[in-house]
Amino acid sequence: MPDAKPSTIKPDKILKQLEDIWTAFTHPPEDGEAGDIGNDGILRACSMTLMSFVDDEEDAVALGETLSGLMREHPGRMIVVRLREGDDFLDARVFAQCWMPFGHRRQICCEQVEIISTMDRLADVAAIVGPLAVPDLPRLMVLRSARIVRAGALRKILRLADKIIVDSSMAGAPGFGELGGLLESGHIAGDLAWTRITEIRSLLAQLLEGSTPAAITLEYAGREAGPEARYLQAWLASALPDTRVALKGDGSVGAGNPVAVRVGDDLSVTLCGGGAEVKLGALSQRASFSHSSTEELLSIELGIVVHDQVFERALNRITA
Amino acid sequence: MTQENPLQDPLRFHKKAPPCAVVIYGANGDLTKRKLMPALYRLAYEGRLAPGFAVIGVSRTPMSNDEFRSRMHDSVKSFLEASPFDEDLWASFAQGLTYIAGDVGDAESYTALASHIAEVTEARKTEGNVLFYLSTQPSQYAQIAEGLGAAGLNRGDGWRRIVIEKPFGHDLESAGVLNRRLQAVFNESEIYRIDHYLGKETVQNIMAFRFGNGIFEPLWDRTHIDHVQITAAESIGVEGRGAYYQEAGALRDMIQNHLLQVMATVAMEPPAYFDSDAVRDERAKLLRSVRIMRPDQVAANAVAGQYGPGRSGSELVPGFLSEKGVSPDSQTNTFAAVTFLIDNWRWSGVPFYIRTGKAMPKRVSEIAIQFKTAPLAMFRRATAGAEALPNVLILRIQPEEGISLKFVSKRPGSGMQLRPVSMDFNYGSSFGERSPSAYETLLLDAISGDATLYTRQDMVDASWKAVQPILDYWATQKFAFPNYDAGTWGPAAADEMLARWGHTWRKP
Repeated sequence: MPDAKPSTIKPDKILKQLEDIWTAFTHPPEDGEAGDIGNDGILRACSMTLMSFVDDEEDAVALGETLSGLMREHPGRMIVVRLREGDDFLDARVFAQCWMPFGHRRQICCEQVEIISTMDRLADVAAIVGPLAVPDLPRLMVLRSARIVRAGALRKILRLADKIIVDSSMAGAPGFGELGGLLESGHIAGDLAWTRITEIRSLLAQLLEGSTPAAITLEYAGREAGPEARYLQAWLASALPDTRVALKGDGSVGAGNPVAVRVGDDLSVTLCGGGAEVKLGALSQRASFSHSSTEELLSIELGIVVHDQVFERALNRITA
Repeated sequence: MTQENPLQDPLRFHKKAPPCAVVIYGANGDLTKRKLMPALYRLAYEGRLAPGFAVIGVSRTPMSNDEFRSRMHDSVKSFLEASPFDEDLWASFAQGLTYIAGDVGDAESYTALASHIAEVTEARKTEGNVLFYLSTQPSQYAQIAEGLGAAGLNRGDGWRRIVIEKPFGHDLESAGVLNRRLQAVFNESEIYRIDHYLGKETVQNIMAFRFGNGIFEPLWDRTHIDHVQITAAESIGVEGRGAYYQEAGALRDMIQNHLLQVMATVAMEPPAYFDSDAVRDERAKLLRSVRIMRPDQVAANAVAGQYGPGRSGSELVPGFLSEKGVSPDSQTNTFAAVTFLIDNWRWSGVPFYIRTGKAMPKRVSEIAIQFKTAPLAMFRRATAGAEALPNVLILRIQPEEGISLKFVSKRPGSGMQLRPVSMDFNYGSSFGERSPSAYETLLLDAISGDATLYTRQDMVDASWKAVQPILDYWATQKFAFPNYDAGTWGPAAADEMLARWGHTWRKP
């Protein structure tokens, strides 16, 4: 339903278009499209509003697949804002994504709004997206756009969400400083770089249960520690104040990601191939890490809509 | 008091098991192959098990460690549900699997097990923690527990726990005997009586639904609820398990344990906090409030049924009496329906109807809470009585887990025509993530020392007391079985039982 040259877009019009989609789904035309939506009709599912700000160059197919995957665990109204350079362009379209769960007779559908905007219309985008958020449900925002980080209207955009999710490992993404700023302004923040180390943290918590080692060494690949290695260090140092937690790079050209954790001579955890190799004295055990894709990491973050004190403590330690 | 782990992150970390050895009696049996080992593997896959983890299989069949591992490998691969199989992970997991052959009646087998546990404790760093899982015939439970006790295996450096499967006795008296023998060896806090129904996500969700929301609990009483129907229907017959089923029957197999526990979860008072003893105290209290029937009340409040030949869809289903291993004059109930009354302030006068059966039209388990109708029938004239349709809250346990609320709504257009509509919450669509199997949940709980979803002896006693008068009365009767066709919702007497209260069974 895109208009040819929309100079203005009204949220009411988008909401009406969304309503029309649902009406069309539940009352298919008489020429027989009902079979497309399953024998028992459709189920409209909504647990949140998810706003994603991406640069227009981002692969639309990959993004679509990620959002489509997320909808299965976090059905809701998805608003994708694609930002591009140029002047005075603003466009919007609405559609629904449906899927039929295996063995079920009824499709589950979620609605999606796509807005394409040039950077100079960002303030308009904020005014459009705000009223589109579903009332009374969490409003989450994923910032994947490098452009938006330096935009003047960023503050207006951030006000739209309860939680803002970034990936500080991405080039051009907001860093620790910006994240600290979000916390200071009272936002709930999430960082996929932090999410990515959840399973190694959980494993370390289990292995170190009941012990306070004198020293822990975190090894990373590269000359400079990346966000994940720094988070890991900050987390350990916050939780174990009597333990010396050192970061050690291997001098390679790596991106600074953690590769191993050594605790004394008896315990080591080596990260490898989607899991970890634990050596505890003579005992060797493999642990499998199940969440590694962007979709899986986002899914975890979307499930947390409260202040995460452990994360905030680690972040504050880094930014202090 | 145990010091809290400063590295814990309850918002993000899943529950993890402490180091331990799980000793499975009946390691060559079906339950181990189909449920226990896939559940343990899945826990390893999710990183829930400690590196110091071991499984010791025990059964009569002589087998090497490698043979045991090979069999378990094939079983896990075959029976793992909704989960990938990772050969590398298996190789690591299998290092912790060992096997020891032994007869449960042979005292030396326990001595050998003690030595084996000592070796495993050292090699696998299990810290002396041992969970004994009895996946054997129920008649061996007490004997095994006593054997473990005699060999000193009920005590050690770490904790010791024992898990037993239902049935916990076959009547009130035998349940008491079993309990006394178990408690002579293990403390009650160390005995985990597994009821896999309580491990189902949606049964646990009943508590979240009731006590995590503010709007339902004020309506959750005799003032607003007319009656409750709990249904657990199987579309299949006994399918070759006739010999086993003949000894149990629907009342013992389902109502005495699973469904009374479900009823207790639906009807119990809110616990003061979410803790295993607080929750179980409330369940037990509710079960103790169930009115015990006098013999002369049983006929009106309990119905036994047995299926005859019929159809399940287009498939012909033989009658129960034609099943292999079933006596041609068997009086076993394959269907049971009971009206329970709860004598407390909240539920006085509200009937709880429970029914379960084999060879019914479809496989469905649900709890339907029917509310009282609106006090004033102001739309009657315009809507041919549609306003009299009561609100029904349906908690679906299987297959499509979720919650529905039925209410009436005005049809669009002129005039005041009302129509019943349904508001649905579908568990799968709102949380697409994989639900753990009941055995994963329950095994992890037992290893972690969380007994919330396990039944306690006072609960077992109370539920036996509730069904014992029915069992006793039925034992004196000669039923004209079969009394319902396969593929139907049970005998006419079940409908009559509700009709006496002015109610009808839902057709789920």
